[in-house]
Amino acid sequence: MSMKFQTVERDSIFTRLDFRPKIYMMLVLTVVALIWESPVVQLALAFLILIACFFSGVKMKFIRTILLIMIPFYLLLLITHGFFNISQVQSLTGKTELTNLFSIPENWWLIGGLSFSLEGFWYGINTIFKTLTIVLVVPLVIFTTDLDNIIVGMVRARVPYKLAFIFSATLRFFPLLFSEIGNIIQAQRLRGLAMEKMNIIQRVSVYAKVAVPLILGAMVQSQQLEIVLQSKAFSGDPDRTYLHESILSRLDYAVLIFFTVFLIAAFVSWAVWGFGAFAGPTDHFLF
Amino acid sequence: MSDIIACLENVSYQYPRSIEPVLSEINLSIQKGEFFGLIGPTGAGKTTFCCALNGIVPQFYGGRFFGKIEIAGLDTLEHPISVLAKHVGQVFEDPETQLIATSVENEIAFALENLKVPREEIIRRIPRVLEMVRLEGTEKKHPAELSGGQKQRLAIAAALAAQPDLLILDEPTSQLDPVGADEVFSTVSELNKELGMTILMCSHASEEMAEYATRIGLLSNGSLLSVGTPEEIYADIPLLINNNLRVPQVASTFYSIKQKNIPVSIPVRLEEGKKVLTELITKKTQLTTPDLKDELVHKEGQPLIQIKDLEHTYPDGTKALHGVSLDIHTGEYLLVIGQNGAGKSTLVKHFLNLLKPTSGTVVINGIDSKKLTVSALAANIGYIAQNPDNQIFNMTVWDEVSFALKNLKFSKQEIETRTEESLKSMGLYEYKDRHPLSLPKGDRARVVIAAILAMEPDTIIFDEPTTGQDFRGAHYILDISRKLHEMGKTVVVITHHLYLMPDYAERVIVMGKGTILLDAPIRQAYFDTEKLNSTYLTPPQAVLLSIKLSELTGEAYCLLTPAELASVFTTNGGAA
Repeated sequence: MSMKFQTVERDSIFTRLDFRPKIYMMLVLTVVALIWESPVVQLALAFLILIACFFSGVKMKFIRTILLIMIPFYLLLLITHGFFNISQVQSLTGKTELTNLFSIPENWWLIGGLSFSLEGFWYGINTIFKTLTIVLVVPLVIFTTDLDNIIVGMVRARVPYKLAFIFSATLRFFPLLFSEIGNIIQAQRLRGLAMEKMNIIQRVSVYAKVAVPLILGAMVQSQQLEIVLQSKAFSGDPDRTYLHESILSRLDYAVLIFFTVFLIAAFVSWAVWGFGAFAGPTDHFLF
Repeated sequence: MSDIIACLENVSYQYPRSIEPVLSEINLSIQKGEFFGLIGPTGAGKTTFCCALNGIVPQFYGGRFFGKIEIAGLDTLEHPISVLAKHVGQVFEDPETQLIATSVENEIAFALENLKVPREEIIRRIPRVLEMVRLEGTEKKHPAELSGGQKQRLAIAAALAAQPDLLILDEPTSQLDPVGADEVFSTVSELNKELGMTILMCSHASEEMAEYATRIGLLSNGSLLSVGTPEEIYADIPLLINNNLRVPQVASTFYSIKQKNIPVSIPVRLEEGKKVLTELITKKTQLTTPDLKDELVHKEGQPLIQIKDLEHTYPDGTKALHGVSLDIHTGEYLLVIGQNGAGKSTLVKHFLNLLKPTSGTVVINGIDSKKLTVSALAANIGYIAQNPDNQIFNMTVWDEVSFALKNLKFSKQEIETRTEESLKSMGLYEYKDRHPLSLPKGDRARVVIAAILAMEPDTIIFDEPTTGQDFRGAHYILDISRKLHEMGKTVVVITHHLYLMPDYAERVIVMGKGTILLDAPIRQAYFDTEKLNSTYLTPPQAVLLSIKLSELTGEAYCLLTPAELASVFTTNGGAA
């Protein structure tokens, strides 16, 4: 059992930044990703963030797992936008007729006659990279920040101390929870549970049954934690001192200014010239 | 009066919703500079006692509290826990759950920040307390990077940083290997002797308590039965035995010698024991050759488990096993020892395919383990892992024990009979409808053992079965292992508690740094002090005393237990 939360081992600009400019960066990027609808620009943004993750030392294994988990969701996005998002795409592109990529034969039950549009496909791609940006920016911010600094940063950003502590305690709990799940399943296999012979439904039911011992274990642990906290004079009182002062450095201010300028620039260029709009100037060569 | 740090007057306490009091009528004062050892069997109320001193009992738990406790002159009922925390530092049993920060310096700072100690003062205190526990230079490390002993020392440092009047340690070494335990004991003893820190420690480690404590209190069923010097308490063998407490082997040896009408004092520390032994020999006390049972040899036929050139490297690159080869035959009782990280658990996990060889082979009953699944292997090799609580996942004791049988597709009738048998043989039948986690720790371990034994495996592996168990609990489990061995089963035990094993094990594997340092019968292995020391193990006191006896007499005595050692001395024909 390791209490170690997943933090990056590499020292980079992201680990040197205070938590506040990073949270600000996360908010700005999320807002911009929500404004933009151009698949090209979204791809560029997601790609930049992926590079930043890589550069700051977020484990590729972790990113791969996220991508794998998201695949069904992405397929769903593509299908719905390609087949069904007709009126929105029509109004965004100003076309009355969408380019048909393929159609389903008329005689198919229920879905016969549906056609998959090129514009819908690109709109789907846009939503995929949009969600990817929003998802990937989280590990980039959280994993490059020490948990204790997250608390200090949140408190300095006027989040109540108790809330900040609960937030960090929750983050700390996750790796513990996962190792606990592993322990329980191993204990079950040691009692002859043949996971390898099970189909997917049976497996899911095994994981579902883990919930009860997991919650009981978590309750025992949280009570122990509470006693430990009490013995360390913890009362949730915000009137306490801090070892780390969390003073914003020049670099922190530079990042805050950069993302403010970026937000304004992105918004103005989108509103005035349609930069980042669907089927706008950045998407010309797609249609 | 000012020298009294803690004063308890007629203290009784009852948890909410419990019928029996956990503490009853306790009167005690702890003086400044004392090292007070609190001993007692599991369930005696030691942890509650500790929590009463910093106000957690009854302020956090509620319940009914009678009497009065004063800590540094503060009534624990009238001052909040956060104020008392300034005067009482507490170190808990489990090194994992009590460290809450993400770096060593933050861990130390946490309590100080809560106590509103100015930042500059916190920065001054961190290196000072780290030096006290010899962890200098680790400020920026993550606590998870520290070893068990280091983690406990960090917990001590964090408690010391608030400059408490009293440092409480509740079983601080029970989860540690011998090196870690030794680190903690010597740190605490140094703090007490050199800095005059007042200590209250609960521990089952009787040899160490006899060595370091200045006063001992024996708690039983919530009452303080006896308080005295270590010499008074640990030499009172009937008192200890009646309360299911372990007697230091030195005391036990000389008590048995005294029972033979040989006039001798009962020392409680090893060095004094050696002196008394020397006096006995110079007084020309008569000695006989001990009658020792022969070691059994099991090396016939095909080995049950055959390990060849086994190497294992963990995904993070740690090489845990370096070319280990080993044969285990049916009916053996094997003891695997070595410091933490020596590769003991890594080795046995290969028997069950829980880990796969990086190179080399593991052959079980003539079949390469690669071809077998964990579940198939588990039916023949029962593995009882370290912490029983991690292996309990059913709502009732009955379901827990029958779980494996359902997986193995036994008929309903067969499941009923086997579960019932297994529960009865483990003395658990009356609890069959209870939730396993509602039982006391010793019983929870038995539930897990019953659940494994219901599969009727041929080989049973006990991984650190006695960790966190008291003397009675440890022997109860080991007695089960002996019964299984007598039934012809193969038993493998991994443990740090060498002193528990002479009455059980036959063959010993000493591991160090991923290799087998020694594979020998127990009588030979326990006397290879050089090999044992090289993997940070110390032989039991009885072995050290018999080495001394050999030196004194010039004859070789390979005696493993206090009883064997005492048997060398002939009864003094009635004249005391």
